[in-house]
Amino acid sequence: MKKIIEFFKDERMRDTWSRIALVVLAAIILEATSFMQLRFLARSTHREAMLKAENVLSTTRYEIMEVVEEAEQAIRDNMWIAQWCLDNPDSLKNVTSRIVEEHTAVVGSTVALVPGYNKNLPFFAPYSYIRDGEMVHTSLATEKYNYPAHEWFIEPLEVGMGYWSEPYLDTNGGNIKMTTYSRPVLDPKGTTAAVITADVSLEWLCNHVGRVDIYPNAYSILVSRKGKVMMGPIDSLAMQFSVQEMAEMMKDEPALPKLVDDMLSGKRGSVVIHSPQQGSTSTIYYAPVPRTGWSMAVIIPEKEVFKEVRRMGFLCTLLQILGILMLIFILLSVARSWTEYQKTKDVEIHLERELEIGREIQMSMVPKVFPPFPERNDIDMAATIVPAKMVGGDLYDFYIRDEKLIFCIGDVSGKGVPASLLMAVTRSLFRNISAQEDSPAKIVEGINRSMDEMDDETGMFVTFFCGVLDLHTGHLRYCNAGHNAPLLFTDHIQLLDVVPNLPLGIEGSMVYQEQQINLLLDDALYLYTDGISEAENPRQELFGIERMEKVLSERRTAMEHLEAMKAAIDDFVEDAPQSDDITMLFIHYLNNNTQINNMARHLILHNDIQQIPQLAEFVETIAEDKNLDQATAMSLNLALEEAVTNVILYAYPDGIDGLVDIEAYIRPDCLEFILSDNGKPFDPTAAPDADITLGVNERSIGGLGIYLVRNIMDTVSYRYENGKNILTMIKKI
Amino acid sequence: MEVFIENENNVTTARFVGRLDTPASQEVAKSIEPILENPTGTIVLDCKDMSYISSSGLRIFLTIRKAAAAKGGNVIVKDINNDIRQVFMMTGFLNLFEIQ
Repeated sequence: MKKIIEFFKDERMRDTWSRIALVVLAAIILEATSFMQLRFLARSTHREAMLKAENVLSTTRYEIMEVVEEAEQAIRDNMWIAQWCLDNPDSLKNVTSRIVEEHTAVVGSTVALVPGYNKNLPFFAPYSYIRDGEMVHTSLATEKYNYPAHEWFIEPLEVGMGYWSEPYLDTNGGNIKMTTYSRPVLDPKGTTAAVITADVSLEWLCNHVGRVDIYPNAYSILVSRKGKVMMGPIDSLAMQFSVQEMAEMMKDEPALPKLVDDMLSGKRGSVVIHSPQQGSTSTIYYAPVPRTGWSMAVIIPEKEVFKEVRRMGFLCTLLQILGILMLIFILLSVARSWTEYQKTKDVEIHLERELEIGREIQMSMVPKVFPPFPERNDIDMAATIVPAKMVGGDLYDFYIRDEKLIFCIGDVSGKGVPASLLMAVTRSLFRNISAQEDSPAKIVEGINRSMDEMDDETGMFVTFFCGVLDLHTGHLRYCNAGHNAPLLFTDHIQLLDVVPNLPLGIEGSMVYQEQQINLLLDDALYLYTDGISEAENPRQELFGIERMEKVLSERRTAMEHLEAMKAAIDDFVEDAPQSDDITMLFIHYLNNNTQINNMARHLILHNDIQQIPQLAEFVETIAEDKNLDQATAMSLNLALEEAVTNVILYAYPDGIDGLVDIEAYIRPDCLEFILSDNGKPFDPTAAPDADITLGVNERSIGGLGIYLVRNIMDTVSYRYENGKNILTMIKKI
Repeated sequence: MEVFIENENNVTTARFVGRLDTPASQEVAKSIEPILENPTGTIVLDCKDMSYISSSGLRIFLTIRKAAAAKGGNVIVKDINNDIRQVFMMTGFLNLFEIQ
């Protein structure tokens, strides 16, 4: 459920869904339209078929009526001649031959006398007919034929008017199927004297009417008064069946008896019948043929009528199925690509989260609370890293230890995750090594050596700059390892003089050269990575040192400087993507104590007592710096000598070379001396004071040194820190 | 640092020239061994030309003083400058020695 919601929340997908919905809607509308069209087509086809059937029915009826008309006309026209010839029967054959000759619809004709009408000729019936195109005269008054027994003779006498006989096979003439129109002939006295006839060949009728050609399998039938088929789809079938028999054969169809009834009773209409044997449905249109008692029917199989519609429907359905298949295919591929997109997106999101965590970890490694030392007024600092990717290979770090600001900036070759890992390594090495090492060169060498031991084969290296700034004195020692020269702000801006050296991670045994300068009040350092100096705009120009100097020339706080720099870079690169990490560190030195007198003196002695005279010189220089009187100078010398001697003699085991580091800070109101050594922990301030009131014999030889230190100096404090004994002594002046 | 030792009429004079700092004291400790071997009569420690003394120097002075005290000798510290006097005062040595 959640997924679905997410799915729909996704803007792109919402768009895709609405598109799919539109496509489906369009498909449905098209389908519906074509369905309606088919329905409409079927209906109109049906209507058309009905019209056609009606049409063919009336046409055929009309054609039959023409024949019927012609036969009846022939009889009517020759009636009076036949009446006239009754007294002279031999001339009757002229009448019959005239009827046959003059009327193409009539195939044969007779005038058959009513038996007994003529005393001399009890049976007399001259018959004329066409055989093989020739007129043949014969007589029906034979014993074999016995004409008075035939329907065509009996029925008209019975009804007293013209009568169309049931179809029959005439054996007398040419064995042809025929129907006969016959009428009684009255003599002038009104006595029925004879029956005059006109035979119509069913085959001829059939040919005359022609076939129903509105549909391939449509046909018409003509049914006699009694239901005999007179005309059908196949000539040979004529007279073989009656419709009643057909109805009997197809009992299953309840509409059929009604059709038969209707036809035999001279009604018109249409009926749909279903033939289970053939599995087909047909529509039958029927109508009576006037005067004859016949009924005409047109049978149209539905299959034929809807053949085109069906074909069209089939085609449409096929096309629609194709369309729907294509639609389904499109939908499936959209769904699949969505799933894949979703999967890729999931992986992406996962990676992105990990990278975000990586970034957080990386950012947590570098100090990023500014100002970093709110309790101090001697330093203003700011630093920033903007990785080009989620994680970057730049680093900076700084912290204060023993009143020294230890800081660094570095740039790992490459970008992304590999660079960020090496960055993390570099940063930890920096922290570990600098914790016990004040010399930037030693720190850099230590990091370099450790990196060399890592034995990596990536060929990555780190450009690095490390500095140790004595916050009391402004004395800055620094070591550069292939990094960009920082900018130094004194009364003007210049590049700090740096020895390039090799970057870290190239040569493990590399000896790095250390350099130093003294920072005065208001001096500053700006450290940066090449992401700034080499920031590129769309015209491929580099940001460069000059632009940097211009931005930094205004007087601002450290943080404002960095913000201004970032804004200047953003302005410069316009819409070009950030190509490298951007890292900078601004250190503004603000120590008032460094004015004129706040100078530091530094002396490093080995643990050799013979080096003590150097201490005298050291103190003398300080005394000169500070214009001290002889007595004070001597007492300072004495105190320092006692403290240093203590270290030389006791801090290191015999035969081990050790150092004692002496720093002197000359302040306006005091002198501060810091002694430090890496020897065994020893707190001289904890030793008991020598008792100076004792007599000669009681006085012990030792304990005087530290006693002197305490007496000469105003403050003496000891601490053990990072493996060092640190003794701080302050003498007020 | 140089130490000149003279013996005249039962008065032994040790004249210290220069700075009696820690390394100097180690040398001086050897130089004064003859005095420590026979610390009798009057021992004069002449400090007119001594410009500096450290606690190790003071220790040498105290060693001589102790040795003399054991053998009934008398130690006189002579002509110390004001700075060294300050150190003597600070350490209570003014009370241990006869200062001239």
